[in-house]
Amino acid sequence: MDTTSIIPLDFVDLGLAYGLILLTAGLARWQRFGGEGKFLWASVRMVVQLLAIGYLLEGVFALRHPLPVLAILVAMGLFALQVIGSRIEKKMPRFYRVMAISLLVGCGLVAFFFCSAVVGFSPWYHPRYLIPLAGMIIGNSMNGAALAAERFAAEVTERQDEIETALSLGASSRQAAREALRSAFRAALIPATNTMAAMGIVALPGMMTGQILSGTEPMIAVRYQIAIMCAITGSVALTSLLILMQGFRCYFTRDHRLILPR
Amino acid sequence: MLNPMPGFQFDNVCKSATDSDGQVVSLLKNIDLELPENAIHALIGPSGGGKSTLLRLCNRLDAPDSGTIRFDGKDIADSEPLQLRRRIALVPQTPFMFPGSALENLQQPFRWLGDQLPGADSDIVRRNLQICQFDPEMLKRDARHLSIGQQQRLAIARALMLEPQALLLDEPTSALDRPTAERFALQLQEIGSRLELAVVLVSHDLDLVRRIADRVVFVAAGRIVASGSVREILDQPEETMIRDFMRHPEVV
Repeated sequence: MDTTSIIPLDFVDLGLAYGLILLTAGLARWQRFGGEGKFLWASVRMVVQLLAIGYLLEGVFALRHPLPVLAILVAMGLFALQVIGSRIEKKMPRFYRVMAISLLVGCGLVAFFFCSAVVGFSPWYHPRYLIPLAGMIIGNSMNGAALAAERFAAEVTERQDEIETALSLGASSRQAAREALRSAFRAALIPATNTMAAMGIVALPGMMTGQILSGTEPMIAVRYQIAIMCAITGSVALTSLLILMQGFRCYFTRDHRLILPR
Repeated sequence: MLNPMPGFQFDNVCKSATDSDGQVVSLLKNIDLELPENAIHALIGPSGGGKSTLLRLCNRLDAPDSGTIRFDGKDIADSEPLQLRRRIALVPQTPFMFPGSALENLQQPFRWLGDQLPGADSDIVRRNLQICQFDPEMLKRDARHLSIGQQQRLAIARALMLEPQALLLDEPTSALDRPTAERFALQLQEIGSRLELAVVLVSHDLDLVRRIADRVVFVAAGRIVASGSVREILDQPEETMIRDFMRHPEVV
């Protein structure tokens, strides 16, 4: 694999590229469309955040030790939790505990399987592989988890009449909640399904494009993309299932009663 | 062994809930009540007084905070909840129709049990349709496209499919027109005695209550204000609260 073919960008090149942001700001001001302050600030944040993560990754790559790699993954997980928490208004009972356990187990199992059995790199914590692969798994599972949790909480509340009618006719809580569970699980898988169906036609996926840019053979990049999409789908499904199993127990008692938090 | 008292017995039952502000609100306070089998009991009283909560406690859709509820002499907390609910059928005020035809709705309880589904010509389907005055011609219709009144009757027929020992009805005639409600009342009276059911109904329809109830229980602010025969409670009420309610039953 020829990794030297990538052309490095220096700060002059970045300055030129940033000129396009300034051009955008100029256009917005000239036409009095407004909003330039907001995206200029966002662009500054982008530059600072990315440079910071760049230096951090360089440091971690140089250390060749599992602890800093794990610390980065934990930070990603916590960040994902925070994003989910801020995105969902209607939180199920014991929300953060349910989310944390599901993400840890769901992403953890899939990432372990993917890194050890599918890609098979060593050492196991090889940061150049583990951080981007686990990052993609966590990031996508975060979206799926948020959708599953949000939809399930909404479905159980909206379907209260349906669920209690079913319970009153002798259905178990599992039977009574079936439609709510189905709908939440399907909602969680919508993004992954849509992405897979459109992949390669509507847009070239980011990871594959990046690999191609840095000199990887297109067919190798494609294989990586296929593999990571499978991992993402599996992880979203597993994480959502764990959320729904725990969420189900939050809404139903052992004696098959529905309890809605007020 | 003591001779068990049939029907429902409430012994010092309390139930509270937490409202949206996090305040604990008492829904039922120290309820002592007997609702014997083979009779029609009407729970009346102002809205929010605890009538529906009483019904929900009977089939364990809600659990009491303290006290015991017995059915047929046995503490219902000791019985398997799913079996209990098949013996004690509850029909909510706005019954939910499951996707599918009216017949599929009648079959739904058997589907959950994994039992063989009774067909449109089976005795149980025909009997329950007749009891609830539901036209068998409409069995193939999508249940969710039926009128509210038809849905309410279908919901009661559905609740009778598992041949329960008790029937709990929350405002069963609220969506029925006058003649239908009266025919329904007669049928209800008949099945109550024919199937030896304990029937407990919550109703604002005092005409219906007068016509079919054997016993009337007046519930307000989480307490039993009075209970007795129709004449005692509706015709010669002692409590001013009941007299006020009788003047404007639909307002409160």
